[in-house]
Amino acid sequence: MIRSIGIVGAGVAGWMAALALGRALPGASISVVETEGPDWSLGPFGPGETCLPGFEAWLADHGVEEGALLRAARGSFSLGTAFSGWAGQEADWFLPFGTIGAPIGTIAFHQLAARLRAGGQALRLADFSLAAIAAASGRFARPSPDPRSVLSSYGYGLDLDRAGLAETLRLASGLAPVGRFRRALGDAEITAVELQDGTQVTADLWLDCSGPTALLIGHLDSGWESWASWLPCNRAVETWAEVEGVPPPYAHAGAFEAGWQRTVPLIGGQSGALLYASAFLPEQPGAIPFVQGRRTRAWTVNVVALGAAAALVEPLHGYNLALLQNAITRLIGLLPAAPDGPEPAEYNRLAASEADRVRDFAILHYKTNGRTGEPLWDQARAAPVPETLAHKLDLYASRGRLPVYDEELFDPEEWIAVLDGQGVRPRRHDALADAIPEPQLRAHAARIREVIVDAVRRMPHHGATLREEGLLP
Amino acid sequence: MLVGRILVVGGGTAGWMAAAALAHKFAGTRLAITLVESAEIGTVGVGEATIPHIRHFNATLGIDEADFLAATKGTYKLGIEFVDWGRKGDSYIHPFAAFGDPLDGVPFHHQWLATEGAGAFEDYSLPIQAARRGRFRRPDGDPYNYAYQFDAGLYARYLRAYAEARGVVRREGKVVDVALDGESGFVRSVTLESGETLEAELFVDCSGFRGLLIEQALHTGYEEWTHWLPCDRAIAIPCANKGPLAPLTRAAAKQSGWCWRIPLQHRTGNGHVYSSGFTSDDEALEVLLAQLPAEPLADPNKLRFVTGKRKRQWVGNTVAIGLSSGFLEPLESTSIHLIQVAIGKLLDLFPTGDWDPLDAAEFNRAMALEYERVRDFLILHYHATQRDDSEFWRHCRNMVLPDSLAYKLQLFRERGVVVQYREGTFLEPSWLAVYLGQHVTPRHRDPRAGGEGVAAALATMRADIAAAAEAMPRHEAALGMGA
Repeated sequence: MIRSIGIVGAGVAGWMAALALGRALPGASISVVETEGPDWSLGPFGPGETCLPGFEAWLADHGVEEGALLRAARGSFSLGTAFSGWAGQEADWFLPFGTIGAPIGTIAFHQLAARLRAGGQALRLADFSLAAIAAASGRFARPSPDPRSVLSSYGYGLDLDRAGLAETLRLASGLAPVGRFRRALGDAEITAVELQDGTQVTADLWLDCSGPTALLIGHLDSGWESWASWLPCNRAVETWAEVEGVPPPYAHAGAFEAGWQRTVPLIGGQSGALLYASAFLPEQPGAIPFVQGRRTRAWTVNVVALGAAAALVEPLHGYNLALLQNAITRLIGLLPAAPDGPEPAEYNRLAASEADRVRDFAILHYKTNGRTGEPLWDQARAAPVPETLAHKLDLYASRGRLPVYDEELFDPEEWIAVLDGQGVRPRRHDALADAIPEPQLRAHAARIREVIVDAVRRMPHHGATLREEGLLP
Repeated sequence: MLVGRILVVGGGTAGWMAAAALAHKFAGTRLAITLVESAEIGTVGVGEATIPHIRHFNATLGIDEADFLAATKGTYKLGIEFVDWGRKGDSYIHPFAAFGDPLDGVPFHHQWLATEGAGAFEDYSLPIQAARRGRFRRPDGDPYNYAYQFDAGLYARYLRAYAEARGVVRREGKVVDVALDGESGFVRSVTLESGETLEAELFVDCSGFRGLLIEQALHTGYEEWTHWLPCDRAIAIPCANKGPLAPLTRAAAKQSGWCWRIPLQHRTGNGHVYSSGFTSDDEALEVLLAQLPAEPLADPNKLRFVTGKRKRQWVGNTVAIGLSSGFLEPLESTSIHLIQVAIGKLLDLFPTGDWDPLDAAEFNRAMALEYERVRDFLILHYHATQRDDSEFWRHCRNMVLPDSLAYKLQLFRERGVVVQYREGTFLEPSWLAVYLGQHVTPRHRDPRAGGEGVAAALATMRADIAAAAEAMPRHEAALGMGA
């Protein structure tokens, strides 16, 4: 039975865990210990963080008012991520938060699109996504709850300043840090944490939310699986630029010769992170080294690693916050009921499997890149990938199908959006798509475009929505 | 490019389900579908009881429920009642619905376990309460699902009419020879007793246990699971209806197996599934006859089977569907479901002219997983028992489990957590029904369970469910049969 929980790391991961566990275990005492330096609890990827749709529901469940969070964290809305320079030096595509096109009967839209392409019609899948079109025209309104409306075909994420996000979560938890971390005590398990003032904190269960330095779990026999051979970026430079005006309603990932640049637009500024592979670019000022990978046992003895202490993966899309959110939910569902129980093993099975699927999703962007004549990208294209990803790629290349594994964070539709954006074309399409007369197909596609364009035209601009909600002067 | 010609070999439930689904899906194309069957060869007519997925199959084909129920003498089904499984004298129902509602974010079963005087677990299931009262109503936004019990022979006939109306050509005849392509090993044609040869590009083997194409011609091999599921025979016999029509399939454990009872509109299907290693055929027949609720309507029909699955179910240009692909006893009414899953995957991966081996590989991967996950669920019923009254049950209690099941069982026993998967037929409520119904009680509970106000909330939930069940019409009335 857990009566006390110690959390090391007073950043986004630490306060999110404190808030959720405080609500789940009202009787337990929770001690949050601050650490030195910036909040890298989700990785050293810039002062802004972005999330996937679904986070707003988590906030509501945990008593955090979305408007208050947005105000505290320079927040704005996001409809997806724009990728430039990945499919080729000059090529752009968009990964939207929402559905793409509409099926005919049981035939998926991307299969219909493949048939149209075979008939000579050039098209991009994202042009059939309301979220992508709205993003491109700088518009945003909250989705409609009416399932018959095309305005229900998308979700939204939030772009947030991580310090403001952490502070909002802290306020909701009603807690304050108990002190600053000096060192962890214990060998086979963490027996206590010593603070700068010399006092010792003890707890039944420790949560390591200290980011890549892994101040607690790093001491234990928790294992680390490196993904460096698949994901070459190992340096990050965090930047912040004051910017005036209305932020675009999407994040941006722009590839360059030696890596990529992340941009998360906030009110009044832009959070940036330059991620690169040290072998391909001279060391940059302020570069933070990191190794991508995951803890073999995110839960080891009496320590559960959350956030970047558990899995560190470059933030191509807003999945790091989603991984954290799922980890906390999973932990709460598996809170130990007795010593030496089966909970850690099950937790680790699920955590490892979920992290590995996100790893595959990230590697996908490298494996299918279209930048030629640049060693990093040429090597990434040629390198072997994990078997689970290879099977997916083979099936997709064969006929546009995607198997779904257990613990997938992303749906097939999102994988397809990436594959299509990167220019991967299946050799064949669903035979059933051939059964539909071509004029009917063309009319179907045209009708979807028409409905989307019409809906987007009537949508307010992102700035108007932000002003309406009091987020922008 | 579509393949041009499909030959379905065998016209039982599997054959006509496959033909109907193919005809529906490829309506308006040049695809030619032929089904060959012989009136001389009987059909096994697997599983007259189904799980809710069948509704999706029928709906996709545009089949009207009332029309279908009338044609197949079908009844509604809210679950399966398991009698004498965990201990003699037990009865629990596996419904197609979740139990209770989570309270304070804690899974419902933990709150129930933590609360003294919370009544029976089944008090928190509306479909179970309805079934116990012999009542049924189609869910209207309610969180439960239902399936059917029907005459599988009539269903095959119904689908035959459907398929023939959509261009499927039925050929009468016995297949006596199968010709393979020397180079590719693909099936090229089958020859009928009449001497006539039927060619096709794709063959769907629905020939039943013997696997005319997949095994006899292609020698695919079979993976046996009899060490985990020792039953290998069945005797089936219909009898007259007696008493109220239960919206339930009943599975009663016996000394060396179990007996099914499936109420249809016009008769009740009965059968005894047993292990020849533990009892004789004569004894098994006696056990079956002794528990018949009414006089038999026909002679007993005896079956032999080997539990397991074909090592690969799609080989070259042959796809095995139904009993030719494997056999799992009908304890959880999965036979028709496994047919349906295979048809769905075949349509999903429908071969194009170039026969990419990836299609077959993916089909085989997905079907193997489906079979294994159902298998584990079935083994649980036998293993999680306290019965000690026969060699058979002692064997089941002590057998070594597949690792995948041992892990699931340990996690529930220790901590009350159900291992969940993205793929697979049976989800958390099903596992909970069987675990708790067979006395697998978690040693430890969710530490958050049992908070203030939970007992009162449970009492309200229980009362609401009982009232809602009481308000439903009788099953016969729901079928329009009159009481």
